[in-house]
Amino acid sequence: MDIKKAVSGYHRNLAIVIGALLAVFVLLPVVIKTPYIINIFILVFYISTMSMAWNILGGMTGQNSLGLAAYMGIGAYTVCLVVTKLGWNPWAVSILAMLVTGLIAGVIFFPCFILQGPYFTLVSIAFAESMRQFIINSEFFGRASGVGLPFGEDSLAQFRFTSKVPYYYAGLIMMVVVYIIMKKIDNTKIGFALKTIREDEDAAAAIGINPTKYKVIAVVISAVIAGFVGFFYASYIRYVDPDLMVQAKSTEFVLPAVVGGAAYVEGPLVGGLIMIPLSEFLRANFARVLPGINMIMYAIVLLVVIRFRPSGILGWYMDSDFKKFIDEKILKKPSLDILEEYQMMNYESRKGGK
Amino acid sequence: MSEKPVIEVVGLTKRFKGLTAVNDVSFSVRKGGITGMIGPNGAGKSTTFNMICGYYPPTEKRAYEYTNMKIARTFQIMKPLKNLTVMDNVIASCYFGHAAAKTREEAVERATEVLKFTGLYEKRHVLSKEMGTPDQKRLEMARALATKPEVLFLDENMAGLNPTETAEAIELIRRINQSGVTILLIEHIMQAVVSLCEKVIVLHHGEKIAEGTPEEVMNDPYVMEVYLGTKAEDKEEKEEA
Repeated sequence: MDIKKAVSGYHRNLAIVIGALLAVFVLLPVVIKTPYIINIFILVFYISTMSMAWNILGGMTGQNSLGLAAYMGIGAYTVCLVVTKLGWNPWAVSILAMLVTGLIAGVIFFPCFILQGPYFTLVSIAFAESMRQFIINSEFFGRASGVGLPFGEDSLAQFRFTSKVPYYYAGLIMMVVVYIIMKKIDNTKIGFALKTIREDEDAAAAIGINPTKYKVIAVVISAVIAGFVGFFYASYIRYVDPDLMVQAKSTEFVLPAVVGGAAYVEGPLVGGLIMIPLSEFLRANFARVLPGINMIMYAIVLLVVIRFRPSGILGWYMDSDFKKFIDEKILKKPSLDILEEYQMMNYESRKGGK
Repeated sequence: MSEKPVIEVVGLTKRFKGLTAVNDVSFSVRKGGITGMIGPNGAGKSTTFNMICGYYPPTEKRAYEYTNMKIARTFQIMKPLKNLTVMDNVIASCYFGHAAAKTREEAVERATEVLKFTGLYEKRHVLSKEMGTPDQKRLEMARALATKPEVLFLDENMAGLNPTETAEAIELIRRINQSGVTILLIEHIMQAVVSLCEKVIVLHHGEKIAEGTPEEVMNDPYVMEVYLGTKAEDKEEKEEA
């Protein structure tokens, strides 16, 4: 059938492009052996993942949180403390870390959602800062000097390697899995609830969405992902100190999403892939010439994007002729009507099959 | 027709600090009919609406009854989900409401139905913020309908429309009603009220001053006085037409 052919052709082309992209990332460490470059990509992976965690709150639900680094810190501390003091396996602790961050986020932010807009943002900042101060002043958390993870032989069971390459792949897998989860959320009931809340809370309430419930769900999902990234970070750096939870870190996680396009699930990935290597490049090449110039240039890039493309790089791409060219010539994307018809055909046949 | 009314309100009162917005209002809405609520600006129409919808609670009430009612409403100031397409706007409603869709396909199927019914199907891929007022008003209704209500509350759904668009909106409301949905509407446009409503409630300064068929209400001397004769002219136009 014509429709089927067109759609499956499009799906095949799409799969080829995505497969090629993935292949580039998978083969990259084979070609490039410099630990410095590998390190930059690991940064890209975990910061983009954090940015996706921010995006579900800031982009999808419209609740701008500036305290995400605190959840990552809680996750990282949970891993370091439980592994060193109780000797648990780090993988098991990663699940514990996600539970702990999710629980803390849910309990703390449940009463905070009477606050709206900037007030919610302020609470998120205050939360992160108070967590940091609490850790700095607590003997149990190692005060300002932090907690380390034990060193030793390479082992997958301990998630401990001397080479950066295993972390590279782990980070890549983490990013792809979180992306798939986000894509799924975007397309289902939760996603629509969150987007409705972002656009208008009264309108959401009028069609039977409980805004508080879904905002708490968004906070918890965001925190759980951040908790897992905390586990990844702790295992990679093998050390965690309260500086991980400073305000600047939280902001760093917001940037990829904003630059890439906060309304899109792919936004943080695109933004992360551009902004993080850029910032590293600027630091490596210009910081020696004039200390601080890299930060200024970074800020200029950011200002230009926000001033001229407030919907981010993807926001520009979605309306551009470039997208049309790619859709028509390379992917051979059929019109939306045909895609819709195809979906409904599938649905009808499945309904008939039951 | 002695069927039990879907909504029966007795002695509804709302005070905002010192201001009494709605004072001791009682009325009922017949199942399957179209009931109108009119009155000058600030008469307390929207407040009454909001209380019945549960948007905020009344300060006082003597009795308050609806028989197993599934309601949906539109807002006077439109609240489209601006950055979503028309289709997504309606899909969001299909996922929730009184007959929540379980799967995405089911939601899409129902949304398509509603969009065809309201005449928005051709525009389903447009972002709702890019549409004009008439279409956004339609979208408000589509989103409310997608929750499968038994009673639909329309808050000034025709304000700002030109005569042709008004006629189309009236036509749509009539079709919604014929599909079995009870309608309670607030409207300033008398043409709409006269041609649609079987019963009209007139509010003024938060009090009900008249109730009856459009004919009866428009001939009520107090109602004419409240409207300072302007509506009497409207009425003459109606009779000529």
